Amino acid sequence: MVRCGEATPCRTLNRVIELKYLTKRYGATLAVDDLSFTVRPGRVTGFLGPNGAGKSTTMRLILGLAAPTSGEVLVNGRRYASFPRPMREVGALLDANAVHVGRSAYNHLLCLARTNGIGPRRVTAVLHHVGLSDVARKNVGGFSLGMKQRLGIAAALLGDPGVLIFDEPVNGLDPDGIRWIRDLMRSLAAQGRTILLSSHLMSEMALTADSIVMLGRGKLVAEATIEELTARYPSLEDAYLALTASSVQYGAGGPGR
Amino acid sequence: MTVLRSEWLKIHSVRSYRLAIAVAFGGILLGLGLAQMAAEMYESASPAQQARASLAELEEVVLMVPQLSLGILGVLVMTSEYTTGLIRTSLTVVPRRWPMLAGKAAVVGVIGLVTGPAVVFGTHVTCRWVIGDRFSGLYQTAFADKLPLLVALSLTVPAFALLGLGMGAILRSAAGAIALLVGLLYVIPMIVDKFPSPWSEWLGSVMFGALPRQISGDLTTPGVYGTSLPPPVAAGLLACYAVLPVLAGAWLLRRRDA
Repeated sequence: MVRCGEATPCRTLNRVIELKYLTKRYGATLAVDDLSFTVRPGRVTGFLGPNGAGKSTTMRLILGLAAPTSGEVLVNGRRYASFPRPMREVGALLDANAVHVGRSAYNHLLCLARTNGIGPRRVTAVLHHVGLSDVARKNVGGFSLGMKQRLGIAAALLGDPGVLIFDEPVNGLDPDGIRWIRDLMRSLAAQGRTILLSSHLMSEMALTADSIVMLGRGKLVAEATIEELTARYPSLEDAYLALTASSVQYGAGGPGR
Repeated sequence: MTVLRSEWLKIHSVRSYRLAIAVAFGGILLGLGLAQMAAEMYESASPAQQARASLAELEEVVLMVPQLSLGILGVLVMTSEYTTGLIRTSLTVVPRRWPMLAGKAAVVGVIGLVTGPAVVFGTHVTCRWVIGDRFSGLYQTAFADKLPLLVALSLTVPAFALLGLGMGAILRSAAGAIALLVGLLYVIPMIVDKFPSPWSEWLGSVMFGALPRQISGDLTTPGVYGTSLPPPVAAGLLACYAVLPVLAGAWLLRRRDA
């Protein structure tokens, strides 16, 4: 066992997301089906799967927004809802458009920061970090999707968390923005953080992620490093198409449907 | 405490919410306008008409302005979380969930507690000044005699604002919650009034608008409302209108997936 003293914070040792037999059922549909995997620190874990495969539902289950039908998901060894100051443990960007159009970027972030005892100085710092300092006092209603993505990333970074979850953060970004997100993800992972990143852009994911978790119809289809996948398939895109296509076939012939 | 500061900023930082609060205070201006109109009509009437002239208590008339604007504010501060999708972020940063609604309730309640008395007492002072001794000295009664009614009227404003918040938390849709609020305040009492006796009297007594007069025991003006509740029961019922929907909303907020 590794013991950690005052100088080396324990947080760096257990920055993990662990899913154990996680299942979520909505009526007759199994959105997430007996899903088990672990997202580890120090790398970017790409989260792939067709639309409706259960990626967003899985993220909501991780964040305690939806209750699992069975199984459990732990963040840093604990249930998410048990964190008194969750922003210091986990940062998340689920939907960049989920902002009040009548509120300024600064106030939007300060509303979130206040709930976790984070002050205005940190808000100013993250706004600077994502390049929104100049528009901090402008209403979010006038922001482009790319600016809202930056704002959502700023919100995720507010508590300087060890675990970060991003649902399609590159949607709507221009090439500069895509490059910026890639570099940001790489540097956050290099700092020892745990990054779970979903995207439909395979070539971008191949450049950003170190390992991949792939879903099909709520089930785990693949859990591998980028190297392992690109050794077996010509590209990540080919791996994705082959693996998710077979999951659809299994699903079509399986007992569920 | 931290959640409270966040919820206060959430309301304070949106212009339309500040406008709703300003409109609520505007009830005083409506009171001033109505009082001046009433005074002018009184002056232009014959002495015989003047002797018979009566006037509804204007504090009660203008009360709908702060009630509705803050009731709608209560609805919107909750339903806007859902329409914008912010609810997921809000619940992610406050995963126990109920403190978020408690924070909103505290902020909305305090805004109502400031606005309600300001409008009611502001209108009362305005009327004393503008109406003077007209209308058989309606506004010349001792202030202490009027105080229970004025306090009861004032308290309906925070209660109605919290009712709006609770409805918003339960229904999650602004249109549904606002329709229900307006129905509760204006439509249902009129329907209940048409019920056969004793139902009209009994149901008319538990209507939201019937409560302030029953709380104060000042039952001088007849209306569509019943008068069969003793003051403590009426006060308890007003508290139920304010608190129960919020509690139901908190219970649902904890249970429902976001």
